[in-house]
Amino acid sequence: MFSWLEKNPFFFAVGVFVVIAFAGLIEIVPDFAQQSRPVVGAKPYSLLELAGRQVYIKESCNACHSQLIRPFKSETDRYGMYSLNGEYAYDRPFLWGSKRTGPDLHRVGNYRTSDWHANHMWEPTSVVPGSIMPAYKHIFKNVADLETAYAEALTVKKVFNVPYDKDMNGDGKIDVPLGSFKQAKQRALQYALKVAQETKRKDLVDMVKQGKVPEIVALIAYLNRLK
Amino acid sequence: MNWLSDNVNRLALLGAAAILIIVIGVVAKYFKQIKEGKSEGVLKEENWDGIGEYKNNSPIGWSLAFIGTIVWGVWYWLVGYPLNAYSQIGEYNKEVKAYQAKFESKWANPSKEDLLGMGEGVFLVQCSPCHGIDGTGIEGKAQDLTHRLLKKEVLDVIHRGSAALGNPNGQLGYPLGMMPPGLLSGADAEAVASYVAGGFKGSGKGADLFQNTCASCHGPDGRGMNGMAPNLREYDDTIVQHVLEHGKHGIIGRMPSFKGRLTPVQEKAVAVYIRSLSEGE
Repeated sequence: MFSWLEKNPFFFAVGVFVVIAFAGLIEIVPDFAQQSRPVVGAKPYSLLELAGRQVYIKESCNACHSQLIRPFKSETDRYGMYSLNGEYAYDRPFLWGSKRTGPDLHRVGNYRTSDWHANHMWEPTSVVPGSIMPAYKHIFKNVADLETAYAEALTVKKVFNVPYDKDMNGDGKIDVPLGSFKQAKQRALQYALKVAQETKRKDLVDMVKQGKVPEIVALIAYLNRLK
Repeated sequence: MNWLSDNVNRLALLGAAAILIIVIGVVAKYFKQIKEGKSEGVLKEENWDGIGEYKNNSPIGWSLAFIGTIVWGVWYWLVGYPLNAYSQIGEYNKEVKAYQAKFESKWANPSKEDLLGMGEGVFLVQCSPCHGIDGTGIEGKAQDLTHRLLKKEVLDVIHRGSAALGNPNGQLGYPLGMMPPGLLSGADAEAVASYVAGGFKGSGKGADLFQNTCASCHGPDGRGMNGMAPNLREYDDTIVQHVLEHGKHGIIGRMPSFKGRLTPVQEKAVAVYIRSLSEGE
């Protein structure tokens, strides 16, 4: 019946590949699709948080800090609940990291505060005496790039259908508004002002009041969001 | 020949010799078979272009293994995999459960030294990044745990009430609920604040005002009437547990909640350790 196939080695090889690939697909894809759904309550990043995430990537925080808590007692004692696949649903790309020179940050928003982050990023040894982390004073001066963050948010909204401007939990309210760049920037500035006031640094508050978001404020908003 | 005194070396040498002898024997056998052997047995009826095949029964060992695998496969499919499948989370849950059981039995009745040591360990890991390794709050970045209350903190709470500092039903979930804002003001508030921050010493306006205004909830001695309201004189177990559970929102800033991160024994241990910081003053 299939002797014609045996006489055509190339098509036979293609046929074998298709059969094996199909078996792989039906085993892997449904589970993968299920596991990678957003967990209940997961929300996309707001504009300011996304800008902070870009600072996080730019400063290579993920070279020393992981964002993945493994299910071991020693880790959950220190960092909290182990990480789930669906928590990374809106991370593009995820920032698991591969090496912990510093501690894991996946739930750092649960146990650190804005003013702590500001103190720590300005001079790490002022709060953690033995720290080998370098100071990041320049991000207190640099202005966060809200335009690029907005472009990213708008892109994932259009291309991947990330639920910006949508009512996700059915309470009749939009959970993560994005809107036009002007609206989004206005909202990001309000949020940044709150964070800047929490850091208790006048220079940061002044910068935000002038309409410029310091990178540190965006970064803290992002870190506080990690829960 | 010193190395021959070692048993492993002797065994290795013996093994090498045995392998050599066996190889020579096997090679010789097959050489002989190739030279002299004749095929024998009954041919099967079918042949392919004149090439036939002998009738051979399946070897018993092979047949048993084949049937055994089928039986094992049915068992594994129906029972083995569904009931005993490995799961990382399952192993984690088991690990945590076993550890908690061990922890609880080991520290069922901890002595004060045990609590102090445990409290120091927990404090250094969980609390010291903000409160400092000596608990003094790193120059005002967090609460100085070697003192109970500073005057400005007392004034802040009198001025704003406890609900404005966080939880609308009373910040820390004490049975007596929230403290209303503005119970005292001006010089009266100053006097009470000095009295409370000064360690409830002396008498006079501050002491009198405290007895009239604050004592109905915080108790005449300021110790919070056995956990009905916050203890203003020391960090007792109740206030430490409440702050760990609810977090804190005070004049310095916000402390996050540590709910579910520590066991009750560990919370108690932290309280014991924090009290030890202010001892000897």
